[in-house]
Amino acid sequence: MAEEFEPKIVAFLCKWCSSAGSDLAGVSRMQYPPNVIPITVMCSGSVSPLYIFSAFNKGADGVLVSGCHPGDCHYIKGNFYARRRIALVKKLLEYVGLEPERFQMSWISAAEGVKYTKVIKDFVQELKPLGPQKKLRRTQ
Amino acid sequence: MEKVLSKKAFPQWVKKLESYTMYLPRKDGDFWNYEVIKNPEIIDLDYLNTVLSPKKIIFPQREVLLEFSTSNEEELKINEVLPEEAQSVIFGVRPCDAKALTLTDKVFGGDFKDPYYWKRRNSTALVGLACNTPPSPNCFCLSVDGSPHSKEGLDILITDLGDKYHAESFTKKGDDLLNLAKALFKNPTAKEKKDLEKIQAESKKKIQRQIKDTKKIPPKLKDMFDSPFWDEESLSCIRCGICTYLCPTCHCFDINDEVTSSSPIKGERVRTWDNCQFPDFTMHSSGHNPRPDKAARLRQRILHKFQYFVELYKNYQCTGCGRCISKCPVGIDIIEVLEKARDYGS
Amino acid sequence: MVNLEELKKEASQILKEGKVKYIIGFQRGSNGLLPVPAFIKNPKDVEKLVWDPTCVYNLTLFLQDEKRKKTKEKEPDERPVGIVVKGCDSRAINVLLQEEFIKRDDVYVLGVSCENTGVLDEKKLAKKLKGKKAKKVEFGANDDFVITTEDGNIKIAAQEVLAERCLECKAHFPVIYDVLIGEKTKRNVENPFKSLEKIESLPPEERWKFWKEQIEKCIRCYACRSVCPMCYCDECVADTINFVVTPDTSAEEKAQKIKWLEKSPVSSENFVYHFVRAIHLAGRCIDCGECERVCPLDIPVRFLNKKLEKEAKELFDYDVGFDPDKPSLVSSFKDDDPEDFIR
Repeated sequence: MAEEFEPKIVAFLCKWCSSAGSDLAGVSRMQYPPNVIPITVMCSGSVSPLYIFSAFNKGADGVLVSGCHPGDCHYIKGNFYARRRIALVKKLLEYVGLEPERFQMSWISAAEGVKYTKVIKDFVQELKPLGPQKKLRRTQ
Repeated sequence: MEKVLSKKAFPQWVKKLESYTMYLPRKDGDFWNYEVIKNPEIIDLDYLNTVLSPKKIIFPQREVLLEFSTSNEEELKINEVLPEEAQSVIFGVRPCDAKALTLTDKVFGGDFKDPYYWKRRNSTALVGLACNTPPSPNCFCLSVDGSPHSKEGLDILITDLGDKYHAESFTKKGDDLLNLAKALFKNPTAKEKKDLEKIQAESKKKIQRQIKDTKKIPPKLKDMFDSPFWDEESLSCIRCGICTYLCPTCHCFDINDEVTSSSPIKGERVRTWDNCQFPDFTMHSSGHNPRPDKAARLRQRILHKFQYFVELYKNYQCTGCGRCISKCPVGIDIIEVLEKARDYGS
Repeated sequence: MVNLEELKKEASQILKEGKVKYIIGFQRGSNGLLPVPAFIKNPKDVEKLVWDPTCVYNLTLFLQDEKRKKTKEKEPDERPVGIVVKGCDSRAINVLLQEEFIKRDDVYVLGVSCENTGVLDEKKLAKKLKGKKAKKVEFGANDDFVITTEDGNIKIAAQEVLAERCLECKAHFPVIYDVLIGEKTKRNVENPFKSLEKIESLPPEERWKFWKEQIEKCIRCYACRSVCPMCYCDECVADTINFVVTPDTSAEEKAQKIKWLEKSPVSSENFVYHFVRAIHLAGRCIDCGECERVCPLDIPVRFLNKKLEKEAKELFDYDVGFDPDKPSLVSSFKDDDPEDFIR
């Protein structure tokens, strides 16, 4: 039997909420798929669209940007800026024909370890039928 | 060898060359570009000049020089990647573009012969198409020692005689191509030879643009390095790389290592075209840039083509194809710049 | 009607009075139909100025050069630069003001109306003329262009030869100016994003095929970046030196520089460049269409910018270039911005 495709996900998690949420999932010994490469950033608002394009370029099958819930941002409004920017990036990627499932955004607070595992589980499940992301990946 | 081929028989000839990789100008939207052809039924030599010259086939914009790989256990492995050994033919090369290749030959064929370039160059035959009418309103080959029927650099020159093609071969490579389909070719009659001469004479008259006294330009440019002239002429330049990338004679390149995998480390050393109009072209690692602004870069383009190259190789590094004029986003016209330079301060 | 004499008179007067340093306008060139940019210092030279449907360039681009030059000068001339702008170009001025790239006093805006039409698409005209050569193109009286060829004048309805962006333009007159020449005409554009429909309606895989084919053609001459009045960054991720090196930059800093994309003009790297360009112009692109016009390989790059302009309008009700005092698209938000895509 052929080995099942295991998608590689790059997750940009904000330090104050989502990254803490993922830590909570970890210390609480919750099980979730090991397909994520987490990158802690100071704020979801600090994720430049270039990071996202670059992740796809370097071979990510899916990219997740996650921040605090609206109103909870450590920097007051960073996640509001992120929401706008990510919406545009998402539209752009879909416009050139990338599968919409490959790029996701979520709000995960420091207390939401369970939500974190669910987001990742769902993401992995959605990516599996799509197969490897070859469209934007460096081809040579 | 001088032969005549009916236009109808042309696809048959091309079919006989199937063992070669064949490139032909193909229409893509509003412009022409060279493409590998598989189906010789739909070839058409009635075309204007291509956006990118055949330089892109002999000296591609991206070329892998070597591959490397290493891991902790293994030592570094390096593998030279030379172009494949494939005989190819490029059809419909305009005389200016063929001449341009004779100029890049000089650059890549000095004391050190560039193996990548020459492997392609030697295995490629150039079948030219004479310009009975200028393919661009900005053609000026006559002003830079060229001609719409020049055979320089070509293996075969084809001239359209209405319902047939006149094909003249100048090299063994060219003879081979004609010999592959001997039955299709006839010897030209006296009338056909006369027609050819007439067409050639007429075609020269149709060229609309020229540089007057091109010879006076290189010595003049020699004293103009520090002139404020370049500031004035470059005012409208926008610093893009169209003029140089589209130029059939520009040959500057950059070499980078592209890592494709980090564990184990794998990658390629890649040569890509580079462009003297970009700010990073001359940027030193110290942060100093000897060509800091667009005036210096425009100067470099003009001086390289009409002074340095002339001093080094006794040729203008320009064949008058007119691409840089037609495609410049702000209408910078090399003819105008040169003529102004020639008359500057007098 | 835009009276060219009026433009010349105004230009000559402000030069004579010393109100402006110089004037950026259009003049006839030596090559083909299109004009070339004119940089006029001497009032006598205002005679060179032209204004007709061939004036496609967005001259606000040259405000970048002016700003760079000024920062280098010890005692810069603080007078404004006179600049001839049409509707779309004037919106570029608004965006540059909004971003505080320039100050209002840096420019003296000579606004010209597009006569309810717009500028020419050279390729469309060439097809229309079928081999005949146009020598001159002028605005006609009834939303048409008068084209002078070797065999006399032809009138063509402007709609047939207008640049694509002009067909979708929301304001054919300058929205910011010191002097306005011509009238503020109003034309109803039913759907300013109509040209996008063709691509948008394709199924995703077809769309991918389309864009891949287009982006693969790119030779990375960066003309689309260079010609854009909004692309004024000193450093660009697309350059091999993607940060400014100064004599103080340490070896560590240089070693740690990130290579965002390779110089190789292959699909994956070209996509990074074009994505960055598009997203960087979101809410800033005023749709002057210059990027698409200058592309030597006819890549429809404008459709990337236009798409984001559409999304900005639909998602955030944001119009570009009409109000220099409004915060920019990505530096502002509303509490109720859509978030249905967020988990």
